[in-house]
Amino acid sequence: MRAWKAVVLINLALVIGVVWGYAVWGLRATRLERELAVARAAALAGVEREWIVEGVVRAIFPELNVLVITHGDIAGYMPAMTMGFRTASPKIQEAVSVGDAVRFTLRGVPPTIAVTAIHKMATR
Amino acid sequence: MIIDRHDQYSGSGTLARVYALGLVARWMHLASSIYLVGASTMIVIAGRSDRPTARRWEHRILSSARGLAVAALASGLVVLGVQTALFEGRAGAALELGAIARVLTETQTGHVWLVRFGCLVLLSTFLLLRLSVDRRVDWRAARGEGVLLGAAALVPIAAAGHAAAVEPDTARAIALDGLHVIVAGVWVGGLVPLALLLRAAAATEGADARPYAVLAARCFSRVALGAMVVLAVTGALLATIHVGSVAGLVGTSYGRLLLAKLALLVLVLLLATLNRSVLLARLAGDGPTVGRPAMRRLSGFVGAEGLLALAILGIVAALGVTPPARHEAAVWPFGIRLSIAALEGTTGEATRALIGSQIAVLGLAVMIAGGMLRTRRLPLVAPALIALGAGVGLALPPLAIDAYPTTYLRPSVPYQATSIASGAALYHESCVACHGARGAGDGSAGLALPRPPADLRAPHTAQHTAGDLFWWLTNGIPAAGMPGFGARLTEEQRWDVINFLRALSAGYAARGMGSTVEPDRRWLVAPDFTFAVGPTPPRALKEYRGRVVLVVLYHLPPSRPRMSQLAGREGTLAALGIEVIAVPTDAAPDAIRRLGAEPRVLFPVVTEGAEAIVTAYRLFAASPHAEFLIDRQGYIRAIAQSGGEAAELEPLLAQIQELNQEKAPAEAPAEHVH
Repeated sequence: MRAWKAVVLINLALVIGVVWGYAVWGLRATRLERELAVARAAALAGVEREWIVEGVVRAIFPELNVLVITHGDIAGYMPAMTMGFRTASPKIQEAVSVGDAVRFTLRGVPPTIAVTAIHKMATR
Repeated sequence: MIIDRHDQYSGSGTLARVYALGLVARWMHLASSIYLVGASTMIVIAGRSDRPTARRWEHRILSSARGLAVAALASGLVVLGVQTALFEGRAGAALELGAIARVLTETQTGHVWLVRFGCLVLLSTFLLLRLSVDRRVDWRAARGEGVLLGAAALVPIAAAGHAAAVEPDTARAIALDGLHVIVAGVWVGGLVPLALLLRAAAATEGADARPYAVLAARCFSRVALGAMVVLAVTGALLATIHVGSVAGLVGTSYGRLLLAKLALLVLVLLLATLNRSVLLARLAGDGPTVGRPAMRRLSGFVGAEGLLALAILGIVAALGVTPPARHEAAVWPFGIRLSIAALEGTTGEATRALIGSQIAVLGLAVMIAGGMLRTRRLPLVAPALIALGAGVGLALPPLAIDAYPTTYLRPSVPYQATSIASGAALYHESCVACHGARGAGDGSAGLALPRPPADLRAPHTAQHTAGDLFWWLTNGIPAAGMPGFGARLTEEQRWDVINFLRALSAGYAARGMGSTVEPDRRWLVAPDFTFAVGPTPPRALKEYRGRVVLVVLYHLPPSRPRMSQLAGREGTLAALGIEVIAVPTDAAPDAIRRLGAEPRVLFPVVTEGAEAIVTAYRLFAASPHAEFLIDRQGYIRAIAQSGGEAAELEPLLAQIQELNQEKAPAEAPAEHVH
């Protein structure tokens, strides 16, 4: 065989190797991306969800049925922050006062969620 | 010894032997991979020739390349096995297919190995094909392919070495390392083939190839010169990445290996200079006898260069499995160090250093000028050398500062409020008697000492590294009557005390800081702290980098008016992008309830971690109510001290605006004191 032909063949093998490696890697990346998209869609689909979260009551707006709570991470929905939550019934905000450490239940179809239950935690 | 050096591989005897085997295999693998690149390049540099001796040489090089390709494959397998054993932590894993498959599929080292091994297999196959290269186009294609496959098998090694672990700029480090390796391959790998060519041509029956060998040597010499420049530049850059300091160079095993490599390199360069400037010039002429002895000697010297380079590769193999100096605690081996900080506050010494340095620079300049002359160098160079020596001798002694093995030790405890608070408690237990409650060196017990205790607030701390303080705390200062606390305080506690001392002296320097931001003057590092609001997960001040933060130390009831005012303007503050963190000085766990429901306070109020924050930040401002304005990089830029009464908010808003408009963010401060 002429040497230049062998060189072409070897280079072809090299290119195939590179393409194959890239394809394997690229396919894995696309698959992961698709799985992620599916998981995201499931998280945001109109499914009712429920979380139990801990936090501190920072302010109460009785006229709006809103509690402002500094809360920890709400898994898959919201990082830790201070924000207002609607309450399912006025009884809920009547049960707590500003400064209470609380464990509360959030339920709803995001983004329409409300506090459905709340309990004071024992202060440490 | 304070620094406990532990070797991750010294744990078990078998594993240590596997490690040694791995080192030898790495050396073999590196040397053969480098040779494959250099040999292919050398053949291309020398070019195609019909002379029998040249053809014989080319064949010889190719058959050695075949052998070394197989050696590279075999040693590569051993390296993989050893790597697997070290990853798994047991020697037996080296022979387990499952474990090896895991390394290959799940680690970057494994992926790189696969790529390189694939290229090596292609290269070996190609070399074993024994193709006919009688036509020019075939020769070119075949030899070019050798270079290409050799380089493809060598360069990815950079992605499996220390460069791949560099953060940030990983890609840059890998590119530099790859360039360094490939250029080293061209130069180092070409030495032995060149020596063989010269020897063949210098032999009696090699007369036909002598002009060919001379041309090849000249051409290689030019290539090698360029390679050395690239190696020097990339090597220096890689050294700054992996070592980064003189202490790392002389005080760690990585640094010392690098110094050994440099020492060998100097020898190689001396030989190379001799070869290039003396022997190569004597190869002139193309007759059967002209330049033959020089050619034989050049062959020997180039071969010697090759052997030294092989030793260098051994060191490189060891460097590859030694943690880079940057990640190791450097043990300073000398009793002194040189620092420009030694001149602070001295005039005579500073003048001496200045004059000395100028004489030295003058000497150096004259020496370079003299070196460029062709004739009569000595009358110029000799006095220049004397001037250089005298200048250095004059300039350096004033720069010397006492140093200790721990001088460049990096603190193992970050500069954080909790550490400062623990340090403060330890200080009040153990140090206050001599150094005084405020660190002024005025403690009552200090009067009896041979030397008055140091004023710990003094700004001369620039001369002392945290490691110096660590040494004194550990071992004491016998001449001054300071006891050592190495036995009484744990290492962590000693770093706590040092963090406290840094905060103490920074606080003393900050006593003049007012409520107005000084443009572009960042020096007071805000100690990091963690805090929690109720049962929410703890957060750190550091997480707020990139935003302006107002840390408010408040005290109820006097601070109530000011807190109401801040709470009332929360919207304005939020619109300016500022984060307010309120810290109760009484560290009350029910701080939020005590602030009350009206007005609504929505910014974080610390209910856990307040105690340490207050202890640390009180060193910067002692008033009952204090507000610290921290810029986007984490420096305290303004401190407003008050009794907590309401005041105009506009000046504060103006300062925030000022910080928001500041551009060219400076580098964030280091996490540790230094």
